[in-house]
Amino acid sequence: MQVIQLQNVTRVYRIGEVETQALRGVTLDISDGEFAAIVGPSGSGKTTLLQLMGCLDRPSTGIVHINGQDVTRLKPNQRADLRKGTIGFVFQFFALIPGLTAYENIELPLLLTGTKARERRARVNELLDAVGLSERARHRPDQMSGGEQQRVAIARALATRPVLVLADEPTANLDTENGRQVMDIMQRLNEDTGTTFIFATHDPRVISFARRTIELRDGRVADNSRPA
Amino acid sequence: MGRLSIGKLWYIAYRDLGRNRRRSALTLVAVALGMGLLIVMSGLIEGAVGGSLDNSIRLQTGHLQVRDESYDEDELSLEWEDLLDDPHGLAAHIQTLHNVRVATPVLWASGMLTARDESVGVQVFGIDPLSAAYTSIRDALVAGEFLAPDDRSGILMGQRLADSMGLSVGQRIVLVVSTADQEPDEATFTIRSLYATGVASYDETRVFLPLSKLQAFTRTEGRASAIFILLHHQDEADAVAAALRAPEFGVLTWRDLNQVLLQSLEASDVFLDMMNLVVLAVVAVVIANTLLMAVFERTREMGILAALGMKGRQILLMFLLQAGTLGVAGIVLGSLLGGLGVAYLATVGLPIGEAAAAGEASNIITYGNILYARFSPSDAVSLSTMELLITLLASLYPAWFAARMEPIEALRAL
Repeated sequence: MQVIQLQNVTRVYRIGEVETQALRGVTLDISDGEFAAIVGPSGSGKTTLLQLMGCLDRPSTGIVHINGQDVTRLKPNQRADLRKGTIGFVFQFFALIPGLTAYENIELPLLLTGTKARERRARVNELLDAVGLSERARHRPDQMSGGEQQRVAIARALATRPVLVLADEPTANLDTENGRQVMDIMQRLNEDTGTTFIFATHDPRVISFARRTIELRDGRVADNSRPA
Repeated sequence: MGRLSIGKLWYIAYRDLGRNRRRSALTLVAVALGMGLLIVMSGLIEGAVGGSLDNSIRLQTGHLQVRDESYDEDELSLEWEDLLDDPHGLAAHIQTLHNVRVATPVLWASGMLTARDESVGVQVFGIDPLSAAYTSIRDALVAGEFLAPDDRSGILMGQRLADSMGLSVGQRIVLVVSTADQEPDEATFTIRSLYATGVASYDETRVFLPLSKLQAFTRTEGRASAIFILLHHQDEADAVAAALRAPEFGVLTWRDLNQVLLQSLEASDVFLDMMNLVVLAVVAVVIANTLLMAVFERTREMGILAALGMKGRQILLMFLLQAGTLGVAGIVLGSLLGGLGVAYLATVGLPIGEAAAAGEASNIITYGNILYARFSPSDAVSLSTMELLITLLASLYPAWFAARMEPIEALRAL
């Protein structure tokens, strides 16, 4: 089954009189359970593509299907609802809510979906265990290392059991060892849960984890090597 | 899809307040000081209003007055047809009515007091010195003995008037009055005692004689200008007035008798409202500024929350809850501060100075030279509600600003 289908998608930004073509007609399918990397130099359109896949933005032209649903014309609240249950995000700068503990950050998406307290508790503890941070549950982001924060972010992205996790440069701010740990965890969770993981990166060490790479250049798909 | 409960949203908002403790504390203090100031100002105005009215009722108008239907207060008429024929009988009857504390006849005349080649116009009160209606004057004595009912040559006057003419107890003055047949008559009196109520307009212009002496002096033959009535409870005035109504009488309540005072107090309410608005506006600016700063600082968080699926209205509500929390905490703290301030000013009072007490306005606003505040629960409730509303209104723009932020715009701050 296709989790994502993009048909001739373009995205044009206008800032004043200046027009920037971030994507110039991308057609792409992502299947259920894939572990794929979007690669390419800065400005090639990686982040824009992730934002369209994550329903954070709408294409200028073309059609985006997520999990079989055409999301191109959804209203902001409908897109928020779709993100809430279907898509998890991991960002480059960890992106945890500073005032909340690791436990509370992971719990947040479950609160948004109205999950019952007992179920929430079980799920958060399960995820803390999965990312090896059970001992750090009560720590706030400023009391954790970058690697630990990113592991909390991965746990949060998976909290609602989404079909798709999108990660934008997930290791860019981590040292080699922490970067490898984060990728190991994502790979393991992909294999264990079957969740589709797509990550944008230009780090060769990260690309080596991917079973498929989609290379973007100047807003177009330059190479789309499917798994063997 | 489930919903994010208000409690959880509040929890996130509350946790955020702790992140920048100094800013949250300063905002809290601004709201609390605003609230405290509003309560103290309202307490002082309430004290001035209530105190003036109490003084006026106690010393001048009473809760009710019964007069002859044709009596004209402005002329202080002494013509027989304008006076009550059997004031003692009428007062005794009124005294028997339920809720009446005291009813006593009084005769008013205008006069000219002369001593040491100096003359001043005065209002002469003929009173029953034994009546409980004059306890306030008796309590305000600063020199000499109170009048006796059968005193034929004694006069009671205000210390302020005596001081201005260089007079003291035991000295003699000449009083000229216009009699019932509109002829002037004069007599010499000895100052028996001096009083000081603290209300300049009384202490400078009013002199007292026993009723029977003034009746004889003015040739009003046992008549009186009015029956002065004090009730057990002020709010029973209308009911007692209704029981006293008769074609031959004019019955006036404290509201009728203090119209000028009440009007000027209404005018002071407008002034207070303006002051309140200024304080509330300052609080609003502080709150709006704090929350707007918080929104700018938290742009990336708005993006994260939006990415996680939080909707614009939930983000709006979260900011309103944050403002509401600051507002409620500030209002509780401010009410305590204000309450303590009012309690202090109710006990110790605020000296407003002799000059202010004797100023032009003292003819109307009849408080003494120390102003005592009064706590008004209804004012406190309405001011608290207003401050909370203003706080929430002021936070609407920052909250709306946060709520309408596009997720990708907010995430660019990452």
